[in-house]
Amino acid sequence: MEQTQWKRSSKMWMVLACLMMSFFSSIESLSVTVNDVECVYEYVLYEGDTVSGNFVVVDHDIFWGSDHPGIDFTVTSPAGNTVNNIKGTSGDKFQFKAPTHGMYKFCFHNPHSTPETVSFYIHVGHIPSEHDLAKDEHLDPINVKIAELREALESVTAEQKYLKARDARHRHTNESTRKRVVFYTVGEYLLLAGVSALQVIYIRRLFSKSVAYNRV
Amino acid sequence: MSDSTPLLAFLTLALMCGFTNSMRFELRSGLTKCIAEDIKNNAMTVGKYSVVNPNEDHPIPDNHKLVVKVSSPSGNSYHYGDHVESGNFAFTAAESGDYTTCFWIPESKDNPIVTIDFEWRTGIAAKDWSKVAKKGQVEIMEFELKKLFDTVQSIHDEMFYLREREEEMQELNKSTTSKMFTFSFLSIVVCLSVASLQLWHLKSFFERKKLL
Repeated sequence: MEQTQWKRSSKMWMVLACLMMSFFSSIESLSVTVNDVECVYEYVLYEGDTVSGNFVVVDHDIFWGSDHPGIDFTVTSPAGNTVNNIKGTSGDKFQFKAPTHGMYKFCFHNPHSTPETVSFYIHVGHIPSEHDLAKDEHLDPINVKIAELREALESVTAEQKYLKARDARHRHTNESTRKRVVFYTVGEYLLLAGVSALQVIYIRRLFSKSVAYNRV
Repeated sequence: MSDSTPLLAFLTLALMCGFTNSMRFELRSGLTKCIAEDIKNNAMTVGKYSVVNPNEDHPIPDNHKLVVKVSSPSGNSYHYGDHVESGNFAFTAAESGDYTTCFWIPESKDNPIVTIDFEWRTGIAAKDWSKVAKKGQVEIMEFELKKLFDTVQSIHDEMFYLREREEEMQELNKSTTSKMFTFSFLSIVVCLSVASLQLWHLKSFFERKKLL
């Protein structure tokens, strides 16, 4: 998604000539199932842009399994350096300043064999700096303020998406707990009844006529 | 100062082409990758996908073409693309839930890994702002502030939705604990009744056998 912000100008050809001054891109919160490694690429246009985001792991089937160790998250810059690395977590927020512009790689690695669904949101935000202000006379300081306001609202939106994803995971956990409670309790009853029936049958056999001659 | 047509034309052109920042991922042929998005009822959603051409000169080979399917949480298909290299879809969600977009490349000899460029926007981000800008004398700054206002509205709505969800979850938790409570009592009842049944049965059995 891109937004362009233009400064109103009386001279048409100057507006036509002026470049994109401030814009940002983001992707909505998407969820991908991670089997081994899943990578998502996002293009960062300007050096110094703040890349922020969050991700939450929604467990697939925690009915029988024990605690999943979590997934690893790695951000690689276009030059190949690891910018950010989070290991063994079930969800986290991240934010960093992009050292260069280019295609950044966001990778999720699942160390276990069970597939996990990851809900993530990545946002690249750009605020025109003093340098941009000096470069283009059509850029007003108010554009900087508007960009800052937009970035602040974006951070609120990102937080909301994170909370929503966490809420989904908690709901998943609670529903599975409920199912497990019912299943285990009913199983316990059946087991109890079965064991006592077996006990009765055994005691009866001990005292039955065919055996009595040999044992009791 | 009103915006004249060539400026608007350039603006809309710039909005449509140029720097389309969207998500990219790799897909190996024969595998299916699905991306899901939680969309609320009556929300507008717009999606655009395309295969990234590794070399600009040649056209995209046939074994790189995608099969795309967009489906609703109940299974209805909203968009289907068969052996396409790019496409887009737009619809209004009829029900709230997880909508999935699945990409698949048919198996072929050289097993290529294809990079797909995908963009999916819902709700406020899916609104077509170029149309609003065209509507008469809208100043650019006013336009920006209008966008911010809409964003704030959507944040407000989202807060209400989150609050509702939390309330639902609290209800679920309460009902789970009350269920656990009744089941524990029931388990004591079952235990005692099974033990007394055993006792009664064995007593009558031994009395019949004249052992007691």
